[in-house]
Amino acid sequence: MSDATLTPAADRPAATVPARRPRWRKTLRENWLHAVMLPLALLWLSPLVWILVTSLKTQTEVFDQSAGFWPASLTFSNYPSTLSVAPFGTYLVNSVLVTGSILAGQLVTITLAAYAFARLSFPGKNLLFTLFLLQVMFPIYAIFLTNFVTLREMGLVNTIPAMIVPFVASGYGTFMLRQSFRQVPAELSDAARLDGCGHLSILWHVYLPLVKPTLIAFGIISVVTHWNDYMWPLLVTNSEGIRTLPIGLGLLAKADSGADWPRLMAGTTIVVSPLLLLFVIFQRRFIDSFMHTGVK
Amino acid sequence: MKSTKPNMMRRRLLATGLAAPFVSAMPGILTPARANDTVKLQFMYPVGVSGDINTIISNMIAEFNATHDGVEVEAIYAGSYDNTEQKVITSLGVGEPPALWLPINSSLQTFLGLDALEDITEQAKADDIYDDFIGGFLDTAVSDGRLYGLSYQPSTPVLYYNKDAFAEAGLGDAPVTWDELMTAAQALTIRDGDALKRWGLTIGGGWHDWMFEGYCRQNGLVPWEADKVLWDRPEAIEALEFWKKMVDAGCMAPASTWQGSANDFMAGSTAMLYHSTGSLTNLRTSSPFEVGVAFMPKRKQFGASQGGGPIMIAKNQSDAKKEAAWTFARWMTNTENQAAWSRATGYLAVRKSSWQQPEMQQYLAEVPQAEVAMKQAEYSGAFLQVPAYSRARDNLKSAIDRTLAGEIAPEAALTTATADTNREIQRVQRRQG
Repeated sequence: MSDATLTPAADRPAATVPARRPRWRKTLRENWLHAVMLPLALLWLSPLVWILVTSLKTQTEVFDQSAGFWPASLTFSNYPSTLSVAPFGTYLVNSVLVTGSILAGQLVTITLAAYAFARLSFPGKNLLFTLFLLQVMFPIYAIFLTNFVTLREMGLVNTIPAMIVPFVASGYGTFMLRQSFRQVPAELSDAARLDGCGHLSILWHVYLPLVKPTLIAFGIISVVTHWNDYMWPLLVTNSEGIRTLPIGLGLLAKADSGADWPRLMAGTTIVVSPLLLLFVIFQRRFIDSFMHTGVK
Repeated sequence: MKSTKPNMMRRRLLATGLAAPFVSAMPGILTPARANDTVKLQFMYPVGVSGDINTIISNMIAEFNATHDGVEVEAIYAGSYDNTEQKVITSLGVGEPPALWLPINSSLQTFLGLDALEDITEQAKADDIYDDFIGGFLDTAVSDGRLYGLSYQPSTPVLYYNKDAFAEAGLGDAPVTWDELMTAAQALTIRDGDALKRWGLTIGGGWHDWMFEGYCRQNGLVPWEADKVLWDRPEAIEALEFWKKMVDAGCMAPASTWQGSANDFMAGSTAMLYHSTGSLTNLRTSSPFEVGVAFMPKRKQFGASQGGGPIMIAKNQSDAKKEAAWTFARWMTNTENQAAWSRATGYLAVRKSSWQQPEMQQYLAEVPQAEVAMKQAEYSGAFLQVPAYSRARDNLKSAIDRTLAGEIAPEAALTTATADTNREIQRVQRRQG
């Protein structure tokens, strides 16, 4: 925050010199966005900083008003003691497996479904599409029991696929992608057809490269949703060996006695860091793909 | 437009897509083969208090499995009390309940309504359960004189107070009656002009209906029967009017949250707190001041209702499983295990003999506060065991919240909540036939 307000103030003496005034204006004109973005970035960062700081405090320090914001000494022992509560390593592998498989499955199904809804004509298309949209409107909790019964009949209860199978199709993703496909000029696919492409090749060579931003946006939403999902994995799994990270976090948020904050925050750091890391690594690619696209 | 890089990306994407079904089929293969001669039991439990419950339970189960041939218990962590109930009801819905589970005691009528519980009265009578369990705890699993569970992790609300704040305000012991409570709360409230520095009293939100039932009991009323709630009785209305009076006097917080209220107490933003005995260890060890524990003040008598839960055994399973389940429930509640569990968690041991154990005596010498809660159990009973208790709780909480916020008069709020709840209970009973 202080940086943002300082930038113009520091330049003010220079502004009294008439000759330099345009340059000051130019700097401001080119960088005003930073002045707006910086406080926002700090605001966005503050919960993360708070999580990190709390995870390094002692239990008493969290509530002692005289203790101040920073921990007196860094208590790294919260991390090992959090890890000892549950097999977080196994949970991490499972979370990656579940979230990854869901995303992979979804990308295949929504691409094919969205193409069909956007570019093909077949009987009952509108009715089917309405049904897809209905699925978006049902809260997931409303269909827990029926999903559970189905999975039990498939013999999947208490297995990793139980957390994946109900989510491999996505009404929301299909809708999102269909809208993007419809914005692709028909001339492009017509040209591809003249060149001898079938449906799959058109989809592969024409549509998918053009809707990459949508795919990435959907991917982010899907990964975040399923990475953080708690209730469904809790319901369909029993064995520790196949459970996911949020269930480990649940162990630290106690109902009867108030949460064990330092360890809960240490656990939260462990749970969110893979996602943050992923974002930092792929950040450039995410943003590039939003910038360089043929479709607006 | 671009090099081959995007193509490789796509190929990798495709490969991942193709791999999904295979990857997801793997854990099925990994599921261990089931042996035929051992009885396998599933036990679903929630995590209610601080301390590594997960580890403690796992160790107990490992010990049980090691010492009992032919029985193998699998402990399944099932989230909060609500989550646990949902998980059990879902399994009941598909006809494959766990052998045992540990819900909150209020859900007794809910599970009885589903015809899910095994009657264990005869086994308990043949054993020492009726002699050795502390009466108030045993009662939480009794309906129509029959026993449906073994109390395992009982708790009651108690009054926690900040001893330093009491000394500062020139107060001696904790208040014993409602009137003393209000006087103390007023003396402990600190305001700086309009800004509030410290509340005199906070009643832990989220479970304030539980505390409210305690107030009704202190005023001589058990505010429910097996098929209806009685919140519109004068005793209950009087209790809510007392809360309103304290809020109007500015010495009691009109609303709070469960964890927030505990945090406020530890941070010194409230001098007295109604909270569960389950919080004792956390409050005691995390507060930077000395924490006092007292009975909830009385009106006509002391009174409290039981939180926490009993271990229940499923009806819909083979006799071999039922027998093994009884052995397990009996083992979890035996003298030594209850003493160890109580020390580790802050829950109250359910057996009289547990409190006589030398290590328990030593614990009481170190933490005399623990004994207060145990003694209060004498004046306590089960908590709101009506069908549709969850809806009933929501109705009552909303009535209390609206009253304290000044939107509605205590009598009108409680009358409406009672009528709504009783209608809902009748609806549920009709549906169950």
